[in-house]
Amino acid sequence: MIDDLKTTIKQVRTGRRSVADVGKTIAGSAGAVALVLVVMFPVYWIISASFSQGTALLSSEGLFADPSTYNLDAYRWVLFESDFFWEDGEFGQPGAVFNSLIVVFVTVSVSLSVIIPGAYALSRRKFRGREKILYGYVLFTQVGAGLSIATLVALYALFVNLGLSNNLLVLGLFYAAGAIPFNTWLLKTFMDNIPISYEEAAIVDGASQWQVIREVILPLSKPGIAVVLIFTFLAGWNEFIIAQTLLQPENYTLSVELYALATDEYQTPWTEFAAFAILFALPVAIIYFAAQNYVESGLSFGGMEG
Amino acid sequence: MSTSFFERVTERGQQRLPASLRDRDWLAFVLVAPGIVLFLSFMLFPIAFLIYLSFTDATHTGTVIGGEANFIGFDNYISLFTDSQFWNSLGVTWLFLTVSVVAKIIVGIAIAMILTHARVRGKRYMRALVIVPLGFPEIFSITVWRGMFSSARFGPFNEILSMYNSAVTSLVGVIDSVIFFAAVSAPEFLLADVPIAWFGSRWSTFASYVTTEVWLAYPFMVIIIVSALQDVPKELHDAAKVDGAGYFHRFRHVTLPAIKRPTMFASILTAAASFQQFLVPWVFNRGGPARDNELILVYGFREAIELNEYALSSAIMVTALAFVGMFMWLAVKKGDLADGVGNDD
Repeated sequence: MIDDLKTTIKQVRTGRRSVADVGKTIAGSAGAVALVLVVMFPVYWIISASFSQGTALLSSEGLFADPSTYNLDAYRWVLFESDFFWEDGEFGQPGAVFNSLIVVFVTVSVSLSVIIPGAYALSRRKFRGREKILYGYVLFTQVGAGLSIATLVALYALFVNLGLSNNLLVLGLFYAAGAIPFNTWLLKTFMDNIPISYEEAAIVDGASQWQVIREVILPLSKPGIAVVLIFTFLAGWNEFIIAQTLLQPENYTLSVELYALATDEYQTPWTEFAAFAILFALPVAIIYFAAQNYVESGLSFGGMEG
Repeated sequence: MSTSFFERVTERGQQRLPASLRDRDWLAFVLVAPGIVLFLSFMLFPIAFLIYLSFTDATHTGTVIGGEANFIGFDNYISLFTDSQFWNSLGVTWLFLTVSVVAKIIVGIAIAMILTHARVRGKRYMRALVIVPLGFPEIFSITVWRGMFSSARFGPFNEILSMYNSAVTSLVGVIDSVIFFAAVSAPEFLLADVPIAWFGSRWSTFASYVTTEVWLAYPFMVIIIVSALQDVPKELHDAAKVDGAGYFHRFRHVTLPAIKRPTMFASILTAAASFQQFLVPWVFNRGGPARDNELILVYGFREAIELNEYALSSAIMVTALAFVGMFMWLAVKKGDLADGVGNDD
């Protein structure tokens, strides 16, 4: 940075770069920074609000609160008084985090146990209907995201009739089903990139089919499986409307609690809401980008990567 | 050479074991089947059930099974297609889709072009920052935006408007003191009437939906457009410059053709997402005020869960599914188009 500055100054002095040229670069960069700031404003606002418990949030200085008044009271409320960990913050009755974790545990374990074998078969074996299955999975992933809401009407009726509506395990199973297409596809592409020669070498050495899967494919797929684990985790953690429709208050997951806070009947407690929202979203955002680094191609599989 | 979407989906990166191991189909089936069965039982089966329901007179959850619902043929569809509420909902949905897709494309291209521009220093960090919202849970972003549009006096947008108001007033104050011989006061039409109840009127609600929808989708658009822009050979731009092409000429004849197809494909996907937008209207004000802004899924969901009109709701959802199917067909068609891009050079 400082070196860049020095070179620039030198270039201007020696006349290799005009002042106008430097000015244009500065103006362009400043404009871009301004754009980024405007676009990211909601993120700034929610972070600032979460630190502004009891201060001037609801005043004319609310938007750009004085950082010296920042405090952690809202976070304290979320952790020790809200339903985040324990119901009403009283140790004993498990709260929303535990409900979310139960759902996520079911989602992750069920979906991984069907995704890994499925991805292996789709990547390494030829059988009738293989193309159709892949095709269906990709189409659903890219276009059909809202199908689950459309079918929710029918599912809700069925669940209520079968007495399964207020059940965290069923909810987890439902998310697992929804996570199958994208993640099977993702893991399949990952497995495609494992060189076939490894398997051939193992077969030459006399390994059986199961040994090839266990000792070659699975260990080499570990990063891919880790990414799928993260995405299925997020599928269970982030979903809201189905959870809200199916669950009763004692089983509310974090996303439903967040919604309840945001739409409080009288007045939304903005600072508490902000702290709750950040505790809910920040960990998964970090995890998401850690996973995203593994799958640069994961987003551009529409053919855009060229 | 262009490969079809179909081939690319299924064949790319395909490596298989030698033929002797290939013909044991049964194992492959056993491995794939659980996933398919689980997926279909929560997807295909409900769709079939939905279609069945749409031909009955089921009203609430109790009548859905247990033989209390009677088969009434196309009556639900007839009453649906003669219901003005349905046409309003369908119209609003398409309007929402059109406006937000156009806005997404413009915003996406603008951000992508600025953050790849040669004059901008540190653009890689800015790009990394600007796509961060992609990692947020949707319900997080939407509830935060609901807060942004808070009707309270100190809601963020109302506060920004107040700042604007005081800026205008003080500017007029300066003019007033310069022109000392006449009294000038800020004209009414330049001032916003704060606080504004954003969800109080039909079109401000609609605008808030569109804003939020664009914010939710722009990281995806930016990623795709940036990667397309980076594939444009620099020599092309230089050649055009040498030939004396101005900025707009270069944009129209060099940049635009290069990013057209990826952008179009992304637009179809994001249009499908907009058509199926549910959470934004639901969380903001359940498609209000009154029932003016009920996007199609909100309309269907509400008829069932809140108004106990299961059969009618099923008919709505089946209609929505037909449109989604249309988008799938479109994605396949245009997917072929998008493929040609990568293979041309």
